[in-house]
Amino acid sequence: MRNPLIKRLPREFVGELGKYMVIFLLMACTIGLVSGFLVADESMIKAYDESFEKYHIENGHFELMTEATEEQIKAIEEEQVTLYENFYIDKASGDNTLRVFPQRKEVNLVCLMKGELPVSSDEIAIDRMYADNNGLKVGDVIPVGKEELTISGLVALSDYSTMFSDNSDMMFDAIQFGVAVVTEDAFADFGTGGLHYSYAWVYEEAPKTEAEEKEVSGDLMKQIAAVAPLTDFVPRYLNQAIQFTGEDMGSDRSMMQALLYILIVIIAFVFGVTIRNTIHQEAGVIGTLRASGYKKGELIRHYMTLPLCVTLLAALIGNVLGYTVLKDVCAGLYYASYSLPIYETVWSAKAFVETTVIPFLLMLVVNYLVLRRSLSLSPIQFLRRDLKRKQKKKAVRLPDFSFFSRFRLRIIFQNMGNYGILLIGLLFANLLLLFGLALPAVLDNFQEEVTHNMIADYQYILKAPVKTAQETAETYATRSLETVGGKYAEDTIQVYGLQTDSTYVPLDFTEEGVYVSNGYWDKFHLSKGDTITLKEKYEDTRYEYTVLGSYDYPATMAIFMKLEDYRDSFDYGEDYYNGYFTDTELTDIDEAYIYGTIVEEDLTKLSRQLDVSMGSMMYLVQGFAVVLFLALMYLLSKIVIEKNSTSISMTKILGYTNGEIGRLYIVSTSIAVAVCIAISIPVGYYVLGVIFREMIMQEMSGWIVYQVPPVIFVEMAVAGILSYGVVAILLYRKIQKVPMSEALKNAE
Amino acid sequence: MFLEIKGITKQYGSGESCVQVLKNVDLEMEKGEFCVLLGPSGSGKSTLLNIIGGIDSADGGYIAINGERTVDMSEKALTMYRRKHLGYVFQQYNLIPNLNVKENIEVGAYLSDAPLEIDDLLKTLGLYEHRHKLPNQLSGGQQQRCSIGRAIIKRPDILLCDEPTGALDYATSKEILKLIAEVNEKYKSTVLMVTHNDAIKHMADRVVKLRDGAVRRNYLNETKMRVEELDW
Repeated sequence: MRNPLIKRLPREFVGELGKYMVIFLLMACTIGLVSGFLVADESMIKAYDESFEKYHIENGHFELMTEATEEQIKAIEEEQVTLYENFYIDKASGDNTLRVFPQRKEVNLVCLMKGELPVSSDEIAIDRMYADNNGLKVGDVIPVGKEELTISGLVALSDYSTMFSDNSDMMFDAIQFGVAVVTEDAFADFGTGGLHYSYAWVYEEAPKTEAEEKEVSGDLMKQIAAVAPLTDFVPRYLNQAIQFTGEDMGSDRSMMQALLYILIVIIAFVFGVTIRNTIHQEAGVIGTLRASGYKKGELIRHYMTLPLCVTLLAALIGNVLGYTVLKDVCAGLYYASYSLPIYETVWSAKAFVETTVIPFLLMLVVNYLVLRRSLSLSPIQFLRRDLKRKQKKKAVRLPDFSFFSRFRLRIIFQNMGNYGILLIGLLFANLLLLFGLALPAVLDNFQEEVTHNMIADYQYILKAPVKTAQETAETYATRSLETVGGKYAEDTIQVYGLQTDSTYVPLDFTEEGVYVSNGYWDKFHLSKGDTITLKEKYEDTRYEYTVLGSYDYPATMAIFMKLEDYRDSFDYGEDYYNGYFTDTELTDIDEAYIYGTIVEEDLTKLSRQLDVSMGSMMYLVQGFAVVLFLALMYLLSKIVIEKNSTSISMTKILGYTNGEIGRLYIVSTSIAVAVCIAISIPVGYYVLGVIFREMIMQEMSGWIVYQVPPVIFVEMAVAGILSYGVVAILLYRKIQKVPMSEALKNAE
Repeated sequence: MFLEIKGITKQYGSGESCVQVLKNVDLEMEKGEFCVLLGPSGSGKSTLLNIIGGIDSADGGYIAINGERTVDMSEKALTMYRRKHLGYVFQQYNLIPNLNVKENIEVGAYLSDAPLEIDDLLKTLGLYEHRHKLPNQLSGGQQQRCSIGRAIIKRPDILLCDEPTGALDYATSKEILKLIAEVNEKYKSTVLMVTHNDAIKHMADRVVKLRDGAVRRNYLNETKMRVEELDW
């Protein structure tokens, strides 16, 4: 005979429809989002991984001052590599920069995503993402240097899945920097002015391990440097334009999995608490069933059935949503940041396990443990409603507060377990909310700081010393070195040699040593008197400097020293300099001598890009956090009312008004919620700070100061309070609905 | 007339499953009267008590206290009626489990502008020594005394007791009955006590016997017995 208790399940489901719907929606949305993300991620990673072979992606590239001669190519190819010309030219396109390549036939092939590849000299195929982010489409005419070209198609260049214009950049730029291909004739028409003599190489026999690759590429670099003046050397494993996408998608995956499992465990505990409440309410029934011979296991299975059914259903619906609607939403987030080739959705057994089997198992384990413990009492204890495991507790003596205050405190003590879970849940929700609110604010703050602390409106970098008539312009020298690698990614450090009486960077160099930018100071926890070691980018030459202090220059990781020391350190002549700081544009220097100009837009590239890449994601996170707030507060506060329904009913009989009962029961929960919010905001701030720091240390060169404006905390508190306001209204309605007959039915 | 119950009818269900629980019940009580409502299970005595208490509604008839009819009252007014006039004692005590003895009695005190002095009442109830204990640390008799304390601290005009000794042993039951009689005597509260214990009728001023929803007998005792004299 079938277990007759099964018949209770639909009734229990209907009776607790609100609770199950909230949990179902929360789980289905979370699982759907994670499933969609994992499917999109896995499908795109597969397309990305396959692109290495499919599009014959280089093993690395290097750049020479001049075009390589046949002898030089021959000498380099002796290192068991094949070289391919990969020349390019950077052209202004309005305020943006387009890196233009001739069409590729052998290496770093192009994926055509829309339209046609260019066939005539007045056509250009531009990167799909650049087009999206700048509102361009096939058929539009765009300026490319002094030319006007028609967009014939939208493409993805396999060696530019991430738009790093320079490999040492802190962040890619998917808005103001793009790549494009033109016909060979059109490319030739650009001339040789500004042409980059870049060569891609492919190993004849690819190194099998990263260590081997490092060794082989090191040897290759020495060989190239020996035969030609090398200006850039980027093996594929260090090429951010190629590697960043894969690494970022990998770390995003871990983040989403962590999000899912944390949430499932929280929901499992919410289920656990609600089940315990049900067991308290049904103690008499359980005692009778146990006394009649029902086994503990049968009751555990009975009480676990609905939570597990809801989880399974939510997982299945979530997966359907994930594979259909949400996959495209998540893929869209990647397509907004990365220039990826077309992908095909792949069925992922791993994603299914991660979003269905594991949540189900987590729910099963947590519920089983809670139920096993709750149902381990003897039948007589259930019949007597004596469900306290410990000896009868003594009442905590309370100070002589007002009656209402003591009543509320008693309710808080009674529900400490619930409020504990609420605290954990709110910590998590507030962490998400803080992430959603703070990241844009941190970036805005960083952008403001960078703008505010610019050395000069214009920083000219020259190819050789050249005079200017501009009197306010001040000479300086600069170059870049690298930190010596350790646990974290190597950082590029900009070294500045300054005039001792510099008006742009007023520093006191009476002592021997260097000042470091505040980003460098914060990131590496430097102190006055520390010794820092830096090295040449492609060589082993090392330099040691003593730190004199920090200088407020958040834009880059930099050190500042006297110009004389700079010249001594790098063996330059007495009159050497290679740049000007100036607040007005220099018009009397020939462009041929100018290597580059750093203006505000260059320094704020990082924050602008992060804003664009993560902006829409942040809204999603904020919305999700608020939904989580509402769901957790509702589910856990509702239990407080349910647990006390007999007492509430009794107070109604005695003549308490609904308002007074609300002041007793809702205000208690309100106090607990306020405390939880007050604790979770600073804890969330601290935890996010640790995560933020680790993320930047591990994944990015450079530094962003983690500084959250106080208004964000106010916004978080307001979001929490408003969410609870909605819940409090629902609770009040629930109190109104508690019938007076409840006290007549239930025995204490 | 202090309490007037006129033509009260109440039925549950409809059609064939309709059960007439109260059939045209009439009853009048003077202030300070001690009335025992007797009857077997299903006779409608608890339903009548709940209607008088304003926690259940009648299908017909009315209840009036000092001429104030409950049938005309809104929900809010009914709440104020319970608050102002009534004290309730149940068989199962219905104490608030997470409040201690003193606080449970304060739940009642809060509702009155001039409640009894709580420490005096605790002493009267014999609970002063136990005032910091939670209900689950008390015996059944102590819990019921606490529940009586909660009901009477606000000086109710009417004390409604629904089988107050139903869950207690003989000795404790007599203790509780004695306490209720003292309350009636000392605070001049009108007491309406539902019981199926026939022996208790001897301590009342008035005895009302219900059967099948109708009043079968309604009489005044010529002489009242002291609780100590009761036996069953």
